[in-house]
Amino acid sequence: MLLRPQEKVADMTTLEAGTHERPKLVEDNYLTHTTGLKSWLLTVDHKRIGLMYLVSVLGAFFMGGVFALLVRTQLLTPEGTIMGQDQYNQAFTLHGAIMVFLVIIPSVPASLGNFILPIMLGAKDVAFPRLNLFSYYLWIIGALFFVMAMFTGGLDTGWTFYTPYSTDTNSAMGGVIPALTGAFILGFASIFTGMNFLVTIHRLRPPGMTWFRMPLFPWSIYATSVIQVLATPVLGITLALLVVERAFGIGIFNPALGGDPVLYQHFFWFYSHPAVYIMILPAMGVISELISVHSHRHIFGYSFIAWSSIAIAVFSFLVWGHHMFTSGQSGLVSVIFSAITFSVAIPSAVKIFNWLATMYKGTISWNTPMLYGMGFLFIFTIGGLTGLHLGTLATDVHLHDTYFVVAHFHYVMMGSALLAFIGGIHHWWPKMTGKMYNENAGRFAWFLVFVGFNVTFLSQFMLGSQGMPRRYATYPEDAGFQIYHMISTYGSYVMGLGFVVTAIYLVASLFSGRKAPANPWGGRSLEWQCASPPPWDNFAEQPVVGDCYDFTVLEWSEKEQGYVWRSDIPHPDGSPAAESEGSH
Amino acid sequence: MSFLGSVAGTLLAFNDPLVPTSGQGTFWMPESASTQAPFVDHVFDFITVLSYFFQIVITIVLVWFAIRYRKRKGQVNFEDDGPVHNTALELTWTLVPLFLVVGIFYVGMAGFLDLRRAPSSAYEVSVTAQKWSWSFDHPEYGVNQAGVVTVPVGRPVEFLMTSADVLHSCFVPAFRVKQDIIPGRYSRLWFEATKPGVYQLYCTEYCGTDHSKMLALVEVLPEDQFQETMGKLATEYMDLPEQDLPTYALDRLYNRCSSCHSLDGSTAVGPSFKGLWDRTANGETVFKDGRRLSDMIGPGKEFPEPEDYIRDSILVPQSHIVQNYAGAMPSFQGQLKERQVLALVLMMKYLDRMVDDQGNRIESPDLNELDPGMGEVEASAPEIGDENEFDAVATAGKGG
Amino acid sequence: MSQLDINPAHGHDHDHHDHLPHQGHHWRDSKQQFEAGKLGMWLFLSTEILLFGGLFVAYAVWRANHPEIFEYGSQFLDTFWGGLNTCVLLLSSMTMAMAVTYSARGQMKAVAICLVLTLFGAGGFMVIKYIEYNHKIHEGLLPGMYFYEKPEASYMWLPLDEQGREAEAAAALSAEEQSAAFAAQVQLESEMPPAPANAEIWTKSPAATGPEGFTDSKLKVETSELRAFLPDSVIGKVENSGPLLKFAEDTSPNKELHLAHPLQDPERPVNAQKFFSIYFMMTGLHGIHVIVGGIVITWLLILTLRGRFSYDYYTPIDLGGLYWHIVDVIWIFLFPLFYLI
Repeated sequence: MLLRPQEKVADMTTLEAGTHERPKLVEDNYLTHTTGLKSWLLTVDHKRIGLMYLVSVLGAFFMGGVFALLVRTQLLTPEGTIMGQDQYNQAFTLHGAIMVFLVIIPSVPASLGNFILPIMLGAKDVAFPRLNLFSYYLWIIGALFFVMAMFTGGLDTGWTFYTPYSTDTNSAMGGVIPALTGAFILGFASIFTGMNFLVTIHRLRPPGMTWFRMPLFPWSIYATSVIQVLATPVLGITLALLVVERAFGIGIFNPALGGDPVLYQHFFWFYSHPAVYIMILPAMGVISELISVHSHRHIFGYSFIAWSSIAIAVFSFLVWGHHMFTSGQSGLVSVIFSAITFSVAIPSAVKIFNWLATMYKGTISWNTPMLYGMGFLFIFTIGGLTGLHLGTLATDVHLHDTYFVVAHFHYVMMGSALLAFIGGIHHWWPKMTGKMYNENAGRFAWFLVFVGFNVTFLSQFMLGSQGMPRRYATYPEDAGFQIYHMISTYGSYVMGLGFVVTAIYLVASLFSGRKAPANPWGGRSLEWQCASPPPWDNFAEQPVVGDCYDFTVLEWSEKEQGYVWRSDIPHPDGSPAAESEGSH
Repeated sequence: MSFLGSVAGTLLAFNDPLVPTSGQGTFWMPESASTQAPFVDHVFDFITVLSYFFQIVITIVLVWFAIRYRKRKGQVNFEDDGPVHNTALELTWTLVPLFLVVGIFYVGMAGFLDLRRAPSSAYEVSVTAQKWSWSFDHPEYGVNQAGVVTVPVGRPVEFLMTSADVLHSCFVPAFRVKQDIIPGRYSRLWFEATKPGVYQLYCTEYCGTDHSKMLALVEVLPEDQFQETMGKLATEYMDLPEQDLPTYALDRLYNRCSSCHSLDGSTAVGPSFKGLWDRTANGETVFKDGRRLSDMIGPGKEFPEPEDYIRDSILVPQSHIVQNYAGAMPSFQGQLKERQVLALVLMMKYLDRMVDDQGNRIESPDLNELDPGMGEVEASAPEIGDENEFDAVATAGKGG
Repeated sequence: MSQLDINPAHGHDHDHHDHLPHQGHHWRDSKQQFEAGKLGMWLFLSTEILLFGGLFVAYAVWRANHPEIFEYGSQFLDTFWGGLNTCVLLLSSMTMAMAVTYSARGQMKAVAICLVLTLFGAGGFMVIKYIEYNHKIHEGLLPGMYFYEKPEASYMWLPLDEQGREAEAAAALSAEEQSAAFAAQVQLESEMPPAPANAEIWTKSPAATGPEGFTDSKLKVETSELRAFLPDSVIGKVENSGPLLKFAEDTSPNKELHLAHPLQDPERPVNAQKFFSIYFMMTGLHGIHVIVGGIVITWLLILTLRGRFSYDYYTPIDLGGLYWHIVDVIWIFLFPLFYLI
């Protein structure tokens, strides 16, 4: 291990002034434990790796967002405003590829998961810390390959790399092979992260934390990791086949050589549909935490939420064919895939109802993470319900490859997964940085993002059902599409502004934010039992595991400006018998 | 691309430009103009109403809880006396959505199977998608259209589609039909239009640079007008001036020859059209029985003019088989009108003006000064054209 | 190392002093670490199997669609070398298993010997693979478009005219014969049912408007096969290699019997190159895994020689062994799929 336990060195840095009464000593936390660039670049500490992931993913998010705004601006008028056909094709391809491979897939698991999961489990690190660092660098290399794709001829295949377009050197631009290589490498970063979490959850839970005493966030990460480990290798080999196909002309997907372009779609969606759940499951885990902690209310139907994550993970492997109802696959196959697709709707609905029931009789704090949580419930319901239109065979034929699909998956991927990620960042920001952000600025930015998001994408449902095909740089003037495109574009500007405001107040909090207490929200899971920011080895002593959703034992302390154990209830540390207070 | 583009150009020259009918759609759906559309709309509306219901209920409950149970100022600890588990409730909100989605699935499936099965009596159109244009063939009339496809109203129409390059997808919103088009494979799509009009057809599978311009129109006509249009399209060459005939043949007729006769000199089942005229005019061709063409062309011989030999090869190909070839060509007697044969002869004669050495089309070929005397083809071979009702017109046009 | 480190092995540890150097600070004891390592390895192996699984599915789909390509292509593989390689790999798997057993008994010298033997197995496998690949490359049996680059590569075979038998070559390729072949084809086509008399015959298939189209004619398919991706110069070389189509065996005394390159064989199935494409892909990916395995075994050997392992800590050897077995198992599937059936 690269980090050796060493006594902290005094006066390494000084803390920003805070209102608290603590002695102004240099704290030994994971941020200050060792210093220097090398101590970050070669760190095996899961918290530092998680933080590096967070910064990198947000950087990629910025890039993807710029491409999204370019795409939206182009579509203000039927003939396009700022780009030519090829430029537009590159813009939406890079937007999609960056957002999927570089942002959403690693967002919650690799950044928040890396930081929070081991602490939630009371562990000192993930199971394989060096593998963890390795997968971070795989992510960096993969991202560099994407950058390289932009400079080696560009990439205009769409993020799905459909054959035979992508393998035809006369059609697709020159950046296909670097981009495929990048996606392949990112896939392995994702596999190693998933493996690491699976082993961590299996082997590093503390004594007393049985499977059903785990918080729900680890459950969702567990379900996600199963998908990552089982589906991503298939994507890897598919992308490798594409590279070989394009470089050598082997013809596996080339009809001119007796190959089958639809086989590629099967291969691709066998991964990429489960990948949708790689994106949404961790978000659901975040939401379970946000809703229960900020409602100060025991999560409702714990086991149903936990099992529904597993059910979604299992079903996710069986529904890939619903992306191909119009591809010419046999009718029977389509019918079967449609039937299984509907079965995914059930566990998702169960989660929604359980979250709502959690809020019932709660004590709901209207702070930024909770606003993101409630926004998630609204947005994810729309995303889920419009999934019904698309899973239904007769209507999907009309809606497939139109803006209805675009709107649907943005409601799920962007409005649900990414906004849950942003909400999770707010929730764990005090823990990660040790600083409180400005709550009112947070509420204001959430409002901008929420309104902007819905304006942007609600209009795209009508656009799609009226027949506007996706991936169009221009559109017919007389089809009545322009008004929806304009609404959508202006909404995207509002949303973009919301993210800019978010970035500003979060960065500002690093410099002028109030010092965060150990437990600012009143959470019960183990990460709120260590200091903010956590010490380098998380817990000096193995923490005592209680019911992680029992919030009645906490109370607000003016002195700490955070929540502490209630003075009138004996702490389980002192009397082991008192631990039973946590169970209902 | 240039090939199809020029077809479109030709078509536009003969028809007024069509614009899509601005039909009355609903808030969600565009105009409905096929027999399948009402059903799809009903399913869509059913799911949408269900979605409205759940969305509104969930939103109301969400907002109500958020306000009713908001945290009050100064609250320092929390009572939690709400339920944390209720199996009956859990089962309710598991099973009710389950029954609903089973219902939705069943309705959607039934409609989908109908969408896939075309009636056997369907009128068939062969569709070829190619970056970034559409080509529609009407085998029943020997008509090729590009940019617009004309179909009859009230009769099932089936598109038999394939792609010449990458994936495409044929989507007509007004008919609620969509089907991917895959190179090397045929896929089918059928619809029965219910009202005459002009409807937009989109490519909905991303296919590269001009994907968003890969549009076409579906012109739905009443049966009598449809027959009339087809008849007109099938004989449009009658009105063409002679200098347009070579281009017409290359655009519209050569695709029937292309699988056996190349334009770039490469040998396929039959000899290449490249240099064919020179070989014929110079009499270089040698036949299987050892005779040379130079011995057969000339006044009083079998073929008075080289054109006669080519005409004979198209209509009675088995009479003279060129050395080293098997004589695989079918007769086009009865399939080609006399003026079309003339167009083909002229195409071969002036091929080098229209096509470069690699077999690629030359943009805007110079065909203004054609060799005088080309009309002699018909004049010297009247006995074959006798049964052709268009022959008189064709001959009448020879002086032009 | 930490307060939680309550390893029972501490008391009677004979290799280490205060704490076990291999143990990460986040583990409670080395049993936990070992079990986590093993679980991680099995997960990794499952991803490996899925990685190859994708290729096996590709193989299955391909073979189901075009069995003739595989039947034809497999005759170019040498069962002797393939079988020998199977034996080498199986033996090396055995020595690897022995290494794990010996390390559990603490016989570290025997472990080192077994690892060396396993390493020899890995090296031997790659040498044999090199011989096979080299032979294929020399004969021009290459994947994808490279298959078409050296149609004359089969050096043991010479065209008849180069052997001074021009007349024979000319006779073999007489126009008569070509015409006869075409006539037979026409005969076949004319046996198809006639079109209805009232219908205008539409001889053009819709696809034929494409660059080359897809027709049933073998000759056309061959051309489209070439056109799909080859540079024009190469197409010309292949298409104009008419006289090369007939080959005679070079009967010089020291020449072995060789099969002609498929391009010289007019009887080859369409797209014969696909066999070599998937052969090189699958065995190549497997070869990469063998090389990685060799590196891992070398690393294990170095650590063994440095005395890092003992009977109570040999996790890397155990996990390395698992990896090596999976490499072996994959080959056990590859060998019959390519060489035997």
